Amino acid sequence: MSFIPGLGLAKGMALTLRRFFEPKATIRYPEVRADVSPKFRGRLQLLYDEWGALKCETCFQCAQACPIECIDMGGIDTKGRYHVHWGPPEQYAERREESALRRSGRTVPDRAYEHFEQLDMSPVEAILDDHDYDPKRMLSILEAVQAVYGYLPVAALKQISFRSGAYYALIYGTASYYGHLRLDPPRDAGQARVAASARPDESVYLASLGAALDGRGAAAGAVH
Amino acid sequence: MTFVARTWNRLTIPGRVLLGLFLLGGLLTGALIALIIFSEPILELLGANLPLVRFVGAATVVLLMTIPTAFLIIYMEMKIIALMNLRLGPDRVGPFGSLLSVVHGLKVLMKEDFTPTGADAPVFTLAPVVTYLASVMTLLVIPFAPGLFGQDMNIALLYFFAISGLGVVGLLMGGWSSFNKYSLLGGLRSAAQVISYEVPLVLSVVGLLILAGTMSLNQLVLNQAGWFTDWYIWQQPLGFLIFFIAATAEANRTPFDLTEADSEIVAGFATEYSGMRFGFFFFAEYVNVFIVSALTVTLFFGGWNAPFPFPEIALAFDPGSLGIALLILVAVVPVVGTLILAMPFYLLRSSMPFWQALVIGFVLFNIVAVAAVLGWAFVSLEWVAGLLWFMLKTYTFVFIFVWMRGTLPRVRIDQLMGFAWKWLLPASLLNLFVTAGAVVLVRELGA
Repeated sequence: MSFIPGLGLAKGMALTLRRFFEPKATIRYPEVRADVSPKFRGRLQLLYDEWGALKCETCFQCAQACPIECIDMGGIDTKGRYHVHWGPPEQYAERREESALRRSGRTVPDRAYEHFEQLDMSPVEAILDDHDYDPKRMLSILEAVQAVYGYLPVAALKQISFRSGAYYALIYGTASYYGHLRLDPPRDAGQARVAASARPDESVYLASLGAALDGRGAAAGAVH
Repeated sequence: MTFVARTWNRLTIPGRVLLGLFLLGGLLTGALIALIIFSEPILELLGANLPLVRFVGAATVVLLMTIPTAFLIIYMEMKIIALMNLRLGPDRVGPFGSLLSVVHGLKVLMKEDFTPTGADAPVFTLAPVVTYLASVMTLLVIPFAPGLFGQDMNIALLYFFAISGLGVVGLLMGGWSSFNKYSLLGGLRSAAQVISYEVPLVLSVVGLLILAGTMSLNQLVLNQAGWFTDWYIWQQPLGFLIFFIAATAEANRTPFDLTEADSEIVAGFATEYSGMRFGFFFFAEYVNVFIVSALTVTLFFGGWNAPFPFPEIALAFDPGSLGIALLILVAVVPVVGTLILAMPFYLLRSSMPFWQALVIGFVLFNIVAVAAVLGWAFVSLEWVAGLLWFMLKTYTFVFIFVWMRGTLPRVRIDQLMGFAWKWLLPASLLNLFVTAGAVVLVRELGA
């Protein structure tokens, strides 16, 4: 180990001299604004509309888009019917304690949440096995599940998500898109029959989509 | 009195200003007339006491010079350390923030000048003055340029060390009179530091004195004329190193700035000081930086000598020979120059309004004119060239001091004292003995 006296001093002086000529980190704030990505939305915050209702519709789009999957959210869906949740399975009970969540600045569990009754999952398992656990065949899986239970219980959807690896929100989106799939139990036998009827033709959806898109659906319908 | 006050109160503001100007003009005219009438006896009196007049004049000039110097060094310190920290540093007041140190000075002036209860008021008040004057008086013997020095003493170096050693008295006075045990301890600590480093500082120069055979700083500079290889740094490298380190400690600069460690809570001897009295200590520190740099340059780096024999350039023509044409030239050149320098901006950038181009042209013309005048002065006036070289070298060393402050951490008090007594003192003695032996050897061999 060669030790030259003053070598450390010289190294330090050389470092500061290099820094002297380097570009500076300061941003002259009032005149120059920091270069922020146009997608940047600042701190995440739940907003309220002018009537005091939460603007969040629990669509999970933010959670889907989050690249590091840091968004863990739950709430009541748009129609005020179901408790929906997005996030990793809970591993430590204490992480979910309300005070811990509040301290870490996260969303707090919904007090209105009630546990769903236990559901027999064996039909779901059998259906998934039939469909090869393939998320691409989700519509047919959902139809088969609805044929068993009469509707699509949230627990079954979560089980499908868990087993097939598809995002819950995507499954929920598929289930809520098709008119013949129901997310709540049929009120009576007539409704149950309607729900059980076959899937409408794809062109119906395309036509309604075209109507929503102001006439562009005509071309799409012609293709089909 | 009431009449005067009543009349004054009845005047409008412009009236008051006019009256003030009128009175001031009268006073000045009276003074001028008195000067003209008594010019002969006054000149006679001044001529009879020329040394005294010269001393008072030089002291005044030096005292006035320290203020912009301190401002400049404070600004350099803020800016350079900021740039080394990847910050921009001051950039709001004045061009590139260069007036921030003036604002600092005004701030210090406006602060309350507080004297603690129980403090020894006269000593407490005098301490900053002693420290400041000890710094300023040393400037009297520094040769800034050929013929530009306060006094060319044959014991200038001795005077320098004696006077700068007086600064310790100021520190001790401040520490003692503050009625605060931290101030007292800080004062004693600074005194211990400064006195310890005074020994190697002086001893490191003795070798150089043996070589030069003179203590006159002016003569020392003259000895180093010629190429930069004639500078004493090449004959006394160890001496320079010891001198530089000891001078850093003398000027209370990082890494030896325990005296006024600004990042620590208790500010040593200056703990109880506020307002302009603290400002004086602060100023003295920065004036010290300049002085130490100037002395280093004078002793080891050839003072005001150019690093190479500067070629004599004779100006092709004498502006005085133009006669009345010179006046016309002075009137015409600024306008034409401004227009010529503004034209490219106006013609090449269609987005620029004409007045903006004119402003840019005017600024550029000023730069060109100042450069031309400086170049002319540099070529034709010896002292301007000398002053420029001297300031260039001195501010290089100021930069190095600031650079060190931006880099090095502060040493501990025991490291500080141990380094002075165990390393610097033996090294300076070694330097002295080796130099003396070499001089004797050369003389014996040459004889």
